[in-house]
Amino acid sequence: MIEVEGLSITSAAGPILRDVGLHVAPGERLGVVGESGSGKTLLAMSLMGMVPDGLSVTGSIRIDGAEMCGADESAWRRLRARRMAMIFQEPMSALNPLRRVGDTVAEPLIRHLGLAPRAARDKALALFDETGILDPERRLSQYPHQLSGGQRQRVLIALALACDPELLIADEPTTALDANVALRITRLLVRLAEERRMGLLFISHDLAAVSRTTERLMVMYGGDVVETGATAEVLRAPAHPYTAGLLSARPSLAAHGKRRLPTIPGSVPPPQELPRGCRFSGRCGQEIARCAAEMPQPVTTAPDSWAACHLLQARAKGAGA
Amino acid sequence: MSALLSVEAVTRQYRLPRLSLFRPAPMLTAVRDISFTLETGQTLGIVGESGSGKSTLARLVMGFETPDTGRVVFDGQDLAQLSPAAMRAARRGFQMVFQDPFGSLDQRRRIGWSIAEPLRAQGAGGDHARAVAQALEQVGLRADHADRFPHEFSGGQRQRIAIARAIITRPRLLVADEAVSALDVSVQAQILNLLMDLQDDLGLAILFISHDLAVVSSICDDVLVMREGQVVERGPVGDVLTRPAQDYTRTLLAAAALED
Repeated sequence: MIEVEGLSITSAAGPILRDVGLHVAPGERLGVVGESGSGKTLLAMSLMGMVPDGLSVTGSIRIDGAEMCGADESAWRRLRARRMAMIFQEPMSALNPLRRVGDTVAEPLIRHLGLAPRAARDKALALFDETGILDPERRLSQYPHQLSGGQRQRVLIALALACDPELLIADEPTTALDANVALRITRLLVRLAEERRMGLLFISHDLAAVSRTTERLMVMYGGDVVETGATAEVLRAPAHPYTAGLLSARPSLAAHGKRRLPTIPGSVPPPQELPRGCRFSGRCGQEIARCAAEMPQPVTTAPDSWAACHLLQARAKGAGA
Repeated sequence: MSALLSVEAVTRQYRLPRLSLFRPAPMLTAVRDISFTLETGQTLGIVGESGSGKSTLARLVMGFETPDTGRVVFDGQDLAQLSPAAMRAARRGFQMVFQDPFGSLDQRRRIGWSIAEPLRAQGAGGDHARAVAQALEQVGLRADHADRFPHEFSGGQRQRIAIARAIITRPRLLVADEAVSALDVSVQAQILNLLMDLQDDLGLAILFISHDLAVVSSICDDVLVMREGQVVERGPVGDVLTRPAQDYTRTLLAAAALED
């Protein structure tokens, strides 16, 4: 339903997203993991046709077979209204504080689906019910400040579902929430994707949240996809040194007392200072001569899984020879 | 020997807005009858969701608020009994690091100025450049970084700056309130290691407030689980995390675990 190939986004200072490919079919749940500066939010914005001005976009974004890369704003607006929806980290700032949340959810139903106000209200009530909002009837007439963070995020999900999207993009939807609330929101997203056969693109830096929400996973660093595969497999046996580094830097529940954590040295360089070759060179513990200058090609690690790393390339060649 | 920090049966209530003219305003008990002690060189984790009272507890320990009943005793002194001058002097001994270093640094000042702030608050006169340089080096930054502005640093570096400011008075207790929650995984690991190194070097006691059990498991000796202002569970991290007695602790564990 959504297929991205060779997507690159370049600013005056250089490329900030390089050669990204992905596909999400109906009912599929794809996770995108990356730290600040990895380009994961820019990727989400580009899939919604909301790339900031001044950036050039090349490659292909096909949505239901139609090429959207370079499409005009009116074409994107039709898609955003009906086919795709997005939710964000901070539900408070995405809701109008002066409007009752029921009216906020009813608005797109009236505007885009042409429902009468009464019918729109009934549909909003059904959506509140579907997204697990407690006491939905009463909530319709409340304002955002009267709701807890978790309930607000559910309202945003209800709003996103209003026009029955085929793809939901969730950008760090659980980051601002308490652990137990976050747990319930991720379960809700999984249930909605399954019941509605809706695609889900789940963007997060939280590996635990991604592991319980998605079936497939894409790891990004410095604007490149460095590894992709089945979520459980990638997290169990990471092929790329960056993925492995992220996993081992993660504090362990089983630490049971003070324990120094393995770290990735340094920090993500600003975009204009990223190495031309492998973006992770300079911080990678297993670097070889060609890493900094040459962009690594994807190496298949399992069916439908790959990692882009010169070491794997060298190993694959060695095995083939 | 008595503990460095001793929190004794502390309760703190807030008056909520009146619902009716004719009834007394309802009260919210943010923290109810909490006791614990913390020794030099030890780290105690405080875990709980928003509204559980953990930040109120931090403010009580820092002396920003006084308990309605009970006592907060630091180094043998009941904080509520201190005169303003004595309190200022006592503040040398305990400092705090917050979640959002960007919000707690003055954007228009060079960071050296911000780092020296606790010394000025102490009324210490003179040039603090040497102390600032030393604090910067202790947190893994360079002395010449003192002349730069907050926006020139990454999120992880800003958290190091906040830690430099907290240790410049050579405190004996550090209160860290969600100090690594906003950081990326790789940066978070660096900051956690830094806190453990500083603890070893300076003999710090750390009160580590977090909602992330995996983080708490990696940096704390003991943990205290709070819910609705009360302690629901406590003990060495290994015990609490392997044999949680409360459903709430189990939920937190599930949220932090990688799915198999």
